Amino acid sequence: MIRLVRAEFTKLTTTRLIYGLTAAMAAFAALTVVANVIIAGEQGDPLSAYSLPALVAAPVTLLSGAALLLGILGMATEFRHQTVTQTFLVTPHRGRVVAAKLVAYPLAGIVLTLTILAFTAAVATGWLAAKGITPSLVGAIGVALGHVLLGAVLAAGLCALIGVGVAALVRNQVAALVGVAVWVLVVEGLLMSLVNAPSLGKWLPSAAAAALTNPGGAHLSRLAGTLLLAAYALALAAAGTRLVVRRDIT
Amino acid sequence: MAVITIQGLTKRFGEVVAVDDLSFEVDQGTVVGFLGPNGAGKTTTLRMLLGLVSPTAGSARIDGKPYRELTDPVRHVGAVLEASSFHPGRSARNHLRVVATAAGLPLTRADEVLAQVGLAEAAHRRVGGFSLGMRQRLGLATALLGDPQVLILDEPANGLDPEGVHWLRGLLRQLADQGRTVLVSSHVLAEVAQTVDQVVIIAAGRLVTQSTLAALTARTDQLVRVRTPQADTLRSLLAAQGIQAHPDGTDQLLAVGTTTEAVGRAAAAAGVVIYEMGAERSNLEDVFLQLTTKQGVHS
Repeated sequence: MIRLVRAEFTKLTTTRLIYGLTAAMAAFAALTVVANVIIAGEQGDPLSAYSLPALVAAPVTLLSGAALLLGILGMATEFRHQTVTQTFLVTPHRGRVVAAKLVAYPLAGIVLTLTILAFTAAVATGWLAAKGITPSLVGAIGVALGHVLLGAVLAAGLCALIGVGVAALVRNQVAALVGVAVWVLVVEGLLMSLVNAPSLGKWLPSAAAAALTNPGGAHLSRLAGTLLLAAYALALAAAGTRLVVRRDIT
Repeated sequence: MAVITIQGLTKRFGEVVAVDDLSFEVDQGTVVGFLGPNGAGKTTTLRMLLGLVSPTAGSARIDGKPYRELTDPVRHVGAVLEASSFHPGRSARNHLRVVATAAGLPLTRADEVLAQVGLAEAAHRRVGGFSLGMRQRLGLATALLGDPQVLILDEPANGLDPEGVHWLRGLLRQLADQGRTVLVSSHVLAEVAQTVDQVVIIAAGRLVTQSTLAALTARTDQLVRVRTPQADTLRSLLAAQGIQAHPDGTDQLLAVGTTTEAVGRAAAAAGVVIYEMGAERSNLEDVFLQLTTKQGVHS
């Protein structure tokens, strides 16, 4: 099992995807810091030592999307390029292959998230330092940062898990990507307006993810959000695994 | 001893019966050509043998076990299926390293098999830029990674240029000389005729014949071509003597497994007019075509 997870990491690190994605996320994170520093004072509070957690939290939602993308591509590229044939020749116990992906891509999503957040924190700290502000990590700021990181790590891991599950179900890479985008951007909104009950909206997958990435407001608590998102992820992963194990690879 | 055992293997895709009650065996240390026209069910059979497709009925076993139950399948069986199953953005060497990692093989094997198939120079190039022939070589390198005793190759000559086909023959011969068992499919008999000991011929999902190449060669040279205005009469006359004859065009018959003397006597006895008659030196390809076209199946 460990060697299968390692094989997944070898797959991930031997194509350009992860490097391009990391660079894009780093660029986006740097932009969010710049944007937040510029608007600070005009909208919301002026910059202070307490701005650091909010600056670091800015790219978290997009990072959970990046983790979702990693999960989808980790599974769907196998079908797109038919490498799944070779993969299943090496490991005919297909459930183990899917299990290895369910371990590898959440880990990859978490590593990506922590890397980008560390970079974001470094840029933000540097900028604050240039303005003569030195945040102390002891006390309230440190606790707030810890909450941001915890939420980001949970969201990235679970979103990558969902990605693997969705791609195992759909198999077609484009369909999986478009399907997830349509679900998040259109279907959830339609469902909300159809049932006309905003209180139900928080039970939808992207609202559960938002409970981790943007806690507070109408969202569920972080624990409830984690459990709900994990339930969605496991249901999708179980259904996807079942299909992948049974389907003919032609 | 049979290394590969196919028994009553059947696969239905909806209404289509791709493989129909197919049975044959491949003995240890033999090179067997698995032949049939495109669409005969060769690929589906091999995919069932490799655990990728589930049979509707019957079984396909390697050393007595279904592929999915083999421990360490890569050290046991090497397979080349289609030439396109590589990530185009990954280098040849990294592709092999992924497989080696998953199979628990030393990563140094990647460079060894690349050298073995003549791809050492291209090791660091992305597979997306590879020619079809290079992909076939990389597929073979992947199959050889675990140094397996059994090789299953699906149309490995597809896309190879004449030099590549020549190289492939040499490699197959070399693998066979090392005592490995090879099952190699092709839709062109000539591609494998110089390499294989035995042939398994299928058409429309069913077994047509399994024989040694020598026995197949013996079936050549036994055709008699007759041009006659009474083709149907002669055909039933010959059939009464147990000689199969197939119409070939409007006024021609092709009698199988007989001599010009026998056909001449039968025609003379019944007063059948013959314009032309001759023994034909059919080649292996003719035999193959005869066996796999519709009339051949009934012969």
